[in-house]
Amino acid sequence: MSTVGATGEAARRPFPGRRARLGDVLLQGVAGLAALGAFVLICLIAYKVVDGSRLSLSTFGLGFLRHVGWDPVHNRLGGASFLFGTAATSLGALLLATPLAFGIALYLTELAPRWIRGPVTALVETLAAIPSVVIGLWGVIVLGPVLRDHVMPALHSTLGFIPLLGTPSATGTGIFTATFVLTIMILPIVSSISCELFLGVPAELKEAALGLGATRWEMVRGVVVPYARGGVAAAMILGLGRAVGEAIAVAQVIGGVDNLVSWNLFNGGNTLAGKIALEFQSSTSSLETSSLFYLALILLVFSLVMNVFAQVVVRRVARRQGLVAR
Amino acid sequence: MPKNGMLIRITLALAAAAVVSTLAVAGAGAAPAKSSGGSLTGAGSSLIAPAVAVWSQLYKNATINYAAIGSGGGIAQISARNVDFGASDAPLTKSQGDGCHGCVQIPWALTATSPVVNVPGVAADKLRLTGTVLANIYLGNVTQWNDPAIKQLNPGLKLPNTKITPVHRSDGSGDTYVFTNYLSKVNKTWKSKVGCATSVSWPTGVGGNKNDGVAAIVRSTPGTIGYVSVAYTIANHLSLARLKNAAGQYVLPTINTIEASAQLVKSAKIPANNKISITNPPKSKEYEHAYPLATFTYVIVPQSSPKAVQLKAFVTWALGSRAQSSIKRLVFAPMPSVVVKKAKSTLATIHS
Repeated sequence: MSTVGATGEAARRPFPGRRARLGDVLLQGVAGLAALGAFVLICLIAYKVVDGSRLSLSTFGLGFLRHVGWDPVHNRLGGASFLFGTAATSLGALLLATPLAFGIALYLTELAPRWIRGPVTALVETLAAIPSVVIGLWGVIVLGPVLRDHVMPALHSTLGFIPLLGTPSATGTGIFTATFVLTIMILPIVSSISCELFLGVPAELKEAALGLGATRWEMVRGVVVPYARGGVAAAMILGLGRAVGEAIAVAQVIGGVDNLVSWNLFNGGNTLAGKIALEFQSSTSSLETSSLFYLALILLVFSLVMNVFAQVVVRRVARRQGLVAR
Repeated sequence: MPKNGMLIRITLALAAAAVVSTLAVAGAGAAPAKSSGGSLTGAGSSLIAPAVAVWSQLYKNATINYAAIGSGGGIAQISARNVDFGASDAPLTKSQGDGCHGCVQIPWALTATSPVVNVPGVAADKLRLTGTVLANIYLGNVTQWNDPAIKQLNPGLKLPNTKITPVHRSDGSGDTYVFTNYLSKVNKTWKSKVGCATSVSWPTGVGGNKNDGVAAIVRSTPGTIGYVSVAYTIANHLSLARLKNAAGQYVLPTINTIEASAQLVKSAKIPANNKISITNPPKSKEYEHAYPLATFTYVIVPQSSPKAVQLKAFVTWALGSRAQSSIKRLVFAPMPSVVVKKAKSTLATIHS
């Protein structure tokens, strides 16, 4: 920490004792304003969300978090099913995407021939550029029916004793399909960050391991993975953040069922972000609008907790390795 | 740090995604910019969107920009005065009317929502249903296609032993309003348990996002039943269900059957706020061929607006026979003259 601090101080004031030049003052001001802008923006958003959800907060209180169902006709609104849907789909997607992304990153950095590396890296990153509405459409028309006709029945007949894999969905939409779609969407983020982390492992360490007679697998397990561990945790959390916030693609494939919390992942559901996207434009009462803000507040708190958690994890891992937080 | 390269690449990817999605949105015409000069900007109902698209081609006195963001969105946008007019399939509720601060709603087109089915082994447009059975399907009381209640209505059909999957709109929608309005009229349990609104708490089934979402699920899933705007059933080659009207006839949504339901307004007096419901016309010789799920759709304009002259000109034109007959092929029926007259008298009250 101390070396970084010293160089940072030196960079800020190149000639100690002398008066700062105009350029330095301007740079300081502009950069400072930019940083302040981000902070103010977050505060404004948080204020607006809390302010908007006031009516719902006073009407439903914390019971909103436990109530399953969304009935704007009779003013019985609750967020439990959406909270469950968000948690189930995003954690599921992370579980599926992490090993895949890890594999892609390892292959691209350590194993692939040079001529494959460029095109495949570009393709993986193109995946991130596909608009979510397109992925959602593909999810409804192509992926859903394929999962319904082939994957869900197979899983149910072989592993049906697990309550998570119950009766397959008739339509191909549902929590399971949404999880798949999210997996595709967070894969490029997690894998490209992992790639950079693996590339950041010093060549001397790797060469030393190989020089000591380690096989490629032993080198990856013994040097690359431990070195990049903290960063990979951060990459996962970033991917999780993306999954939690995704609205449109999820709304298209999750089945829009608001009054169900079920262990069977093949059933329909809905997520916090998805419900807000679907309902906000057409909310007919101030209480419903306010309750949608309440959902947004839950989402905001959820992301905040996750971000802090990520920071803590990364810092702890980094400290254990004797490195400064990356 | 090697992070720089990654950051640049991620930024580029995100920027590309942003550009592509902006283009997609702009392409869909969903940029409700403030209008200027000879243009009118509107937003709302996706049911009326194909009709407005036709109109904007034909209408020469102003450029019409319309964003199909959904009825509720249209009401929100006109309440905030971000657009010159809103469009909604459901009449304004009390709180929406208050929130719009001096808006009037004017019926400007007549169409229907219709149940679509995907039943293996049953030919297109052959299945017969009644309102009661439809309500029981969506309540979860009738769960198999070979249920005696359905068999009884379809003596000539070979109904499969397939589970019924009811599909509904997962976004708030005017179609849902019309559909639940009808079910509330024909089924007491529905009325008390679920009710009628642009979005309701569905007792069973799965949701699809917008008309095309429901259409996609119904088309690809055997055993489903859904409801979509009539214009979408043609484009998507979906199989319609024949609905039994109060007079005992099984009818499909056509210009004639929709027009027949609208005759209801001749006998019923149009209220001051133009809120007209023509679902489930009563049992009478006059409504023998009436389609029970027909609906008016509304344009919502501020009573006082800087664009009042242009708005008046455009809506008057839209109510005229040329505009009305131009959308017949999208299954919008001509409105009864009594409704047109009332619409014009409401229109006369708006001013700049």
